[in-house]
Amino acid sequence: MPVVLGFEGSANKIGVGVVRDGEVLANPRRTYVTPPGTGFLPGDTARHHRAVILDLLQEALTEAGLTSQDIDCIAYTKGPGMGAPLASVAVVARTVAQLWNKPLLGVNHCIGHIEMGRLITGATSPTVLYVSGGNTQVIAYSEHRYRIFGETIDIAVGNCLDRFARVLKDVAERMLSTGECTPEDLCFSLQETVFAMLVEITERAMAHCGSQEALIVGGVGCNVRLQEMMETMCQERGAQLFATDERFCIDNGAMIAQAGWEMFQAGHRTPLSESGITQRYRTDEVEVTWRD
Amino acid sequence: MGGRDTREGRGLLQRSQEAREHSGSVCRTAPYLVSTSTLSVPFPTPLEAEIARGSLAPDAEPHRGAVGKELKVSGSVLAVCWRAEDSRLLRVSIVSFLEQLSLVVRTMQRFGPPVSR
Repeated sequence: MPVVLGFEGSANKIGVGVVRDGEVLANPRRTYVTPPGTGFLPGDTARHHRAVILDLLQEALTEAGLTSQDIDCIAYTKGPGMGAPLASVAVVARTVAQLWNKPLLGVNHCIGHIEMGRLITGATSPTVLYVSGGNTQVIAYSEHRYRIFGETIDIAVGNCLDRFARVLKDVAERMLSTGECTPEDLCFSLQETVFAMLVEITERAMAHCGSQEALIVGGVGCNVRLQEMMETMCQERGAQLFATDERFCIDNGAMIAQAGWEMFQAGHRTPLSESGITQRYRTDEVEVTWRD
Repeated sequence: MGGRDTREGRGLLQRSQEAREHSGSVCRTAPYLVSTSTLSVPFPTPLEAEIARGSLAPDAEPHRGAVGKELKVSGSVLAVCWRAEDSRLLRVSIVSFLEQLSLVVRTMQRFGPPVSR
């Protein structure tokens, strides 16, 4: 019954989770929130993570009712994500792995979302829509890889929706001042259009793979309208939609622990010399040896 | 433009002339000024110095071309040696390293000492 500790901090959320045989024993998390109208920068985000990570680690162990010796493996986010925050979390993972003499596992952040989605919802082999502030990908499993069937090449959907606030303040002034439309009209139009694109691409992937299951993961997956639109598409195809709640859609430590658990069972290990973080880490770079 | 390390020992003027000749479309008119910096961090035991090195060495420098550092352990001391062509990037790298080092030390204080091997 291996127990895996997972560290996540690739963007503005920092979480430490504990998973044992498919059970989430602890999953505390903190979010670095910047003032309205501003985004989060790598240096400040890393500073935030460094300030709270050790408390979070202690919280996770206490909540799980475990000591360091009960942990069998230390998993952490190797990438993708922002450099300084990733590194701040990775050094703690490496330090405790060495202090407690436990194996280390570098986990792909996107795969963390997928494995937690599969665990929590029970979906067997879904077509995955992974949509967040930092990533937007349509993924399906095939022959030991999570293959990317579609992705945005310029900006992630979550980031796009957030940045639109700046557009509303400057560029859209002309349209808004004439009374042609309201800010609500513009936001609604953006969201409906972007979500419709996501649903369409997901549907195409499902048709291509003959899949009857769809799974939404990532922070934007919390959006009720997106879930509604996906549900409509799924119903029309006789397919089933799976989604998680905000404990697991949003970045968290337990998802890294869960992916780490699968990898650990399958024999993966990350030697210290290969444990460097990487801002670019493709979902299909990992050999998914724990699935058939 | 390769072979920077071999240019030490030759005059600044000669080096800057070579830079102009070899650079092609990239023109650097200022001579190379390589700055170095060293830091020695004492730990209670050699094992702890090794653990710190193990935690801090794997992540690559963000500006790999312009700043490089090397971490070595001798006895209970972690020795860090920087080489940089840009003093601002050197400063950024050192500050960043100190912040990470501080985190490693705090982690060791809170979750150590290392278990016996």
